[in-house]
Amino acid sequence: MRAFRALFMREVWSLCVSPFSFVLLGFWYLLNGIFFTYLLSSETIRADVDGLPQYMFGSGVLVWLLLPAFPPLLTLRLFAEEHRLGTLEPLLTAPVRDIEVVLAKYLAACVFFLAFWAGVLALFIVLASFNVALDWSLIFSGFYGSLMISLLFLATGLWASAWGGNLLFAAAGGTAINFLLLFVPVLFDQQGNPLQGLAHAMNIPDMVDRGFTVGLLDSYALAYFPLVAGLFLFLTWVRLVSRRWVP
Amino acid sequence: MIEAEALTKRYGPLTAVDELSFQVEPGEILGFLGPNGAGKSTSLRILSGYLPPTSGRARIDGCDLQDASLEARKRIGYLPENFIAPPELRVGEYLRFRGRLKGLKSAEANRRVQEVVAALGLGNRVRQPFSALSKGYRQRVGLADALLANPPALLLDEPFGGLDPVQRQDFRDFLRELAQDGKAILFSSHVLPEVEEIADRVLIIHHGKTRADSELTRLQERALNEAPVQFRTSDVEGKLLGDLKAFLHETENLSLEQSAGTYRVLPENAARRQALFRWLATQPVEVLEFRTLTPTLDDLFRSMTEEVPA
Repeated sequence: MRAFRALFMREVWSLCVSPFSFVLLGFWYLLNGIFFTYLLSSETIRADVDGLPQYMFGSGVLVWLLLPAFPPLLTLRLFAEEHRLGTLEPLLTAPVRDIEVVLAKYLAACVFFLAFWAGVLALFIVLASFNVALDWSLIFSGFYGSLMISLLFLATGLWASAWGGNLLFAAAGGTAINFLLLFVPVLFDQQGNPLQGLAHAMNIPDMVDRGFTVGLLDSYALAYFPLVAGLFLFLTWVRLVSRRWVP
Repeated sequence: MIEAEALTKRYGPLTAVDELSFQVEPGEILGFLGPNGAGKSTSLRILSGYLPPTSGRARIDGCDLQDASLEARKRIGYLPENFIAPPELRVGEYLRFRGRLKGLKSAEANRRVQEVVAALGLGNRVRQPFSALSKGYRQRVGLADALLANPPALLLDEPFGGLDPVQRQDFRDFLRELAQDGKAILFSSHVLPEVEEIADRVLIIHHGKTRADSELTRLQERALNEAPVQFRTSDVEGKLLGDLKAFLHETENLSLEQSAGTYRVLPENAARRQALFRWLATQPVEVLEFRTLTPTLDDLFRSMTEEVPA
């Protein structure tokens, strides 16, 4: 536990002092700020401000196009960068379990990514300070849903990062997996498709639009994201321990 | 104690380490010698628990690296070749982090960091980021890291690389002190004089195979035994040649040097060298010079690791 705590703290600290993390965060805030301002000036939101969380946390183009890319950009440094620099060897020869390494890095990335969504949440707080009546249950359920998707995308990013020292592969691989997880089930979730049942069960936009952004916390969706994230963490761990397997 | 038992590592058709077996006792320094690409770093990576062997066993203080990897790694201080720490961390921060990672409590980690920093002359560098350090200081940080948890076994991969002569001497002295404290030390190098100065025993490998595993004094004896002798006589007409050929055994190589009356002989052993000297004294020629062309350990190392033409 001591080793885990030390590694977790170090990873959080490293993310906090990394200029690249802050470039990502700044870019995220900028795009979300522009999108938020644009939405506020739109007729749809002027007519019904309660539609705002749905765009910011669910149906918005930012969520579906940017969210798959940002977590892998954050997680690429966790293994791929260490591998490239040569700091992975001292880490993995220290008396620390591989699963502790995976979890500490993952949780650190999760904690840091919370700041990404906290900034979006802050936009609503600022809006509320101008005496705009907001439905906070919609905002928090949307926020929660976005966190859930982020947990999954961070796990896929971590897995892509564990494949070696190629940063481009880590970023592009993680992003590609995230887009596949997002959109392949949507393509197959059509009437008459033999895979529709499976595709529907994995249809993330559907889970978000019919659940989190309309204020419903569906237990299936609540279980789906941690389970699939857990699967990718398991794969990351397998990737790490396979190094010690006798060929 | 560090034990390797028939360690083998294959990468497809390439055998990087081939049936390597040795032991390093507590208090002993074993120099692991071989040219670049001989399999030294791979062996050390296996012994550190970073890579698995294809076959064979490795144990640290009795803990098997395959079956009890975590326990074995608790007993190892490992300095990889070209050691590097996360560049964003300061030296003190990095060492404290490593201490905690190795299971030390916070106060204990701080104490050990102070001790190793003082022992390795890093006192004025603890606030510097790792990226600002010279190669020599980076190596010291790596060694400090290896020593933090006071492990009984040290694995050091090319620890003298990039150090200036003064730093090398300091490093050697420090390693000797560590051995006196009872640590088993295995360090790799491809520079024989470094090994000669510090190691109790030398393990020479080439193409992953053991070429010699011996105490240095024995290697030196071996070098002496394999030394040719050269003698110069007043026999410029070469009258001695026939009798000399008759005296020498078939396996003893004889060559005539350019200077008239000068011969070079490779005796079978030290006794035969003495016999040759006595025999010469009985001959009707004047012996002007008789000397043993003792190869250095470097020559011996080269002869052990030189490529044999196919």
